[in-house]
Amino acid sequence: MDKQLELLQGTLDMLILKAVSLGPLHGYGILLRIQQISKDRLEIQQGSLYPALYRLEHQGWIASEWGESENNRKAKYYRLTAAGKRKLQTEAEKWNRMADVISGILQSTPEEV
Amino acid sequence: MEPHGGRHLGDSAKHAGGSVRFLSRVRSWMRAVTRRSRMEREMDAELRFHIEAFAEDLVRRGVLREEALRRARIEFGGVERAKEECREARGVNFLESLIQDARFGLRMLRKNPGFTSVAVLTLALGIAVNTAVFTAFDALVLRPRPVKDPDSLVAVFRTTPGDARGRFSYPDYIYFRDRSKSFSDLSLFAFGMALTSSDLPPTGPEARSRLAGAVGFQLPQLLQGSAQPVVAVFVSGNYFQMLGAVPLRGRLLVPADDQLGSSPVVLMSGNFWQRQFHSDPKVVGSVLHLNGEPFTVVGVTPVDYMGTLPNVPSLWAPVAAKVHVGGLAAENLENRLLIAGMPAGRLKPGVSLSDAQAELDVLAAQLRIAHPEDEKNTGVLLLPDRNDVAMLGPEEWALVGAAMSAVGLLLLIACANVASLLLARAAVRHKEIAVRLAIGASRGRLLRQLLTESILIALFAGAAGLPLAAWLLHLLIVEIASALPSAWGTIALQVSPDVRIFSYALLVSCAAGIAFGLAPALQASKPDVNSALKAEGTLFGRRLSRLRLRGLLIAGQMAACLVLLISSTLLLRGSQRALEIDAGFESRHVVCLEIINPANLRYPQARMLQVSRDLIRGIAGVPGVRSVAQASRDPVGGIRWVPVAPVGAAASTSITQETQTTGAGYSYVTPNYFETLSIPILRGRVFTPSEAEGQAPVVVISEATARRFWPEENPIGKHLKIGLEKGTMFYPGEKDPFIPSSEVIGVARDVRSMDLRRIDESYVYLPLSQSRQWTRILLARTEADPRQLLPAFGHEVQRVDASLPVVGAPLYTMISMDPFFVVSRVGGLLASIVGALGLLLACMGVYGMVSYTVAQRTHEIGIRMALGARGTQVLKLIAHEGLRPILAGMLIGIVASAGVSRLLAAMLFGLNLLDAFSFFGVSLLLGGVALVATLLPARRATKVDPMVALRYE
Repeated sequence: MDKQLELLQGTLDMLILKAVSLGPLHGYGILLRIQQISKDRLEIQQGSLYPALYRLEHQGWIASEWGESENNRKAKYYRLTAAGKRKLQTEAEKWNRMADVISGILQSTPEEV
Repeated sequence: MEPHGGRHLGDSAKHAGGSVRFLSRVRSWMRAVTRRSRMEREMDAELRFHIEAFAEDLVRRGVLREEALRRARIEFGGVERAKEECREARGVNFLESLIQDARFGLRMLRKNPGFTSVAVLTLALGIAVNTAVFTAFDALVLRPRPVKDPDSLVAVFRTTPGDARGRFSYPDYIYFRDRSKSFSDLSLFAFGMALTSSDLPPTGPEARSRLAGAVGFQLPQLLQGSAQPVVAVFVSGNYFQMLGAVPLRGRLLVPADDQLGSSPVVLMSGNFWQRQFHSDPKVVGSVLHLNGEPFTVVGVTPVDYMGTLPNVPSLWAPVAAKVHVGGLAAENLENRLLIAGMPAGRLKPGVSLSDAQAELDVLAAQLRIAHPEDEKNTGVLLLPDRNDVAMLGPEEWALVGAAMSAVGLLLLIACANVASLLLARAAVRHKEIAVRLAIGASRGRLLRQLLTESILIALFAGAAGLPLAAWLLHLLIVEIASALPSAWGTIALQVSPDVRIFSYALLVSCAAGIAFGLAPALQASKPDVNSALKAEGTLFGRRLSRLRLRGLLIAGQMAACLVLLISSTLLLRGSQRALEIDAGFESRHVVCLEIINPANLRYPQARMLQVSRDLIRGIAGVPGVRSVAQASRDPVGGIRWVPVAPVGAAASTSITQETQTTGAGYSYVTPNYFETLSIPILRGRVFTPSEAEGQAPVVVISEATARRFWPEENPIGKHLKIGLEKGTMFYPGEKDPFIPSSEVIGVARDVRSMDLRRIDESYVYLPLSQSRQWTRILLARTEADPRQLLPAFGHEVQRVDASLPVVGAPLYTMISMDPFFVVSRVGGLLASIVGALGLLLACMGVYGMVSYTVAQRTHEIGIRMALGARGTQVLKLIAHEGLRPILAGMLIGIVASAGVSRLLAAMLFGLNLLDAFSFFGVSLLLGGVALVATLLPARRATKVDPMVALRYE
């Protein structure tokens, strides 16, 4: 397997939002889902997950409530709020635009300059 | 439609989103603050769940449970750090961590009770002394008057060109009182007066405070059997009403009392009532004779009640009563030119100061038109009635500055002390700190936590210091108050707790906490994690910088201490010199008797002369009295100047008419004055009794006067013009001497009667005619100790006239009344107390530092001794290092003291500014004590067993 890619600065938030947009999850579940949808190609620091979650909750993009997990244990579930949904959209747009610009730059040939 | 609507929705949603964001942030913050422990539990549960879930996944893949858990934890990383970051993300960090720091700090302090108590006590001392000085300052200057609603009180001044703070005459006061609409009340405070009363219960010899006696103050005592002086202040009838005062007994003055025709009444102050009348309830309604007139006591004001005055008077009376005691002639109540007193008013609600000023300006203008001559160029000025900071003059500020500097130095010493204690502790804790740094604490956080500990210590010290300050102040006030004669009124300092004092103490504590905590905290949190963890605690390089800081602290303490001690010694020695100065006249066997305020008796001249004669005869008849002389001023006070000029031949100095400096001091004396005071006559003779009786134009001059006018010649036979034809304006109300040509018949030796620090520049003695003049001052020369004769003198006074108030004291005690002496003595005492405290603290600091160094270097010492060093060599090494900062500090202290002594020059009475005893002796003392404080623990180093030391960690 290829070596996992390190996360770019500030992208963890986006990934978390995307992960919970697909349905409410607890913290561990969010981790698994990100790994799943990235097909395990991203290296996620587990320790930085929860501070990010708390930050996102503090800012109002996600909301939390306690519920029961699959094996009937108490766990804290996070879901996307309406504002969070909009935030995810904006961030995704920004990311795509940025990716366009960067790849454009990287593809430029000497003649185009 | 869709995109447009979407964009529109998006815009409003953005705004809504913004407020939602903010709201959710606030909600989250509030939730976190109020339900912190719940959040903590939840966070803990959440993270644990995560790790267990991960572990379960691993178990499912076949890993053993324990191994799975371990791997899960490692994979997760630092749980604490994650928690910390989570907390931070929630945005409650500051308050939370502050509380956490405080709790941790408290725990640490509790674990080290020895350290904590020493630090707290040391600092408490410094804070207490500081707070005490500030409290006194506050009580005297900053505190608002203890009256109802002090902010609406204004003081009214009369302005003339050249004087912006003038007083009012009585008719002018009435004018403004009746016409002004801005005030709900305008009252007048008229000048106080010393009255005499023979109705006061006899008091024993005025109780002398131990402190006053110890310090060398001796006040003239009222002679038994003589009438007692008492000070009364005069206020208008509406004064108490205006201030909203409440009587302790009986009633207060009302406007009806303040009419010319009403019967004279008087109030007593609670202090006077307790002290003189022992709280006798029958005093209300009794009659007190003041200056011979009967006054009815109608009430008692509360204890320590001062109204708008700076101290508590003994009696309060209405202004109209002044006429009864002879302080004011009835017709003068109409005299616009005669100064009566100071009005104070209460502004009506809603009226501002500027409104009132405007109204009064208009009234003043009308007054000027109505009385053009009397009121020429006068105006009014209104100012808030407070003990304003602005009312302090430069001398007062200098005194305040000096006091605050001295106690500030003490506080600095205390802080330096505690700082070095903290440094020592930091060294002990460096492992703990290193570990904390290693697991991820930020340096700032660590710094904050260490500082919190320091501030906690400081706050405890402040809390302990406040009652200590109150106690100190109470002690001082009680002592000072009992040292003053009761006739002067009472100084009542309001030293009850007060917001300002609390906040000052708090401020000082926090400042101190930061001052002594910052450097050690910075030092301690400097991470050298590696070596600390490897337990190489005695790495020389790092230790050196810590040692340098401690050395600096020690040097600072030594310097501050030395400055305090040397200054105080200089002041004390200077004041001692004052007492030993040979004034040029005999003072140990002379009693000075003074009739107080004889004008109060209102005797006609003939009667006064008779009383005077009888008194002299009586005193002279007391066994043990050699002679009794009269003088118009006592030999150390009441200076009088008169311009003098030689008559005829070229004067060696030109005399102007106005300046005092070309005048001479003078007094009228009887011929036996010189003999009574043992002032030798160097040339010529004294006046004969007949010359004195006839007031012949002869004069005895002092040596300095002779030198001044006739430097090379014999002054006998020369003539002096004394005084001016039209008189001088120096002493309004007194008749200046004027002798156009007075023959010099004798030259007396120089004395120091006007300023203890130097010989009188010029002095002339004029003959006193006992048949035409009487004097307040009598001087009696005694054979033995004069104090034993005082009761006999009192007996004589009573026999001659019981309503005469006479004080008597040996002459030498009056020298202790010289203000410079008082300041020098008291200042020296206080400074030496502070200095002694500083010495104690500084030595504790030195002892602590050296002990600590020894403990720290035990390992190194062990190595040295194992390699062959002898005990004494080790001792020298330790002592050398300890002494370096001490010597450096002392050097700085000596230089600083030299500077300070220059500032104190005025109070040193001629003591050499670099007085050897003070500088050398005190330095030796300090050095010696510091040396002992160094050597004692250093000796421990020599007892170190190398084998034990080598194993010491």
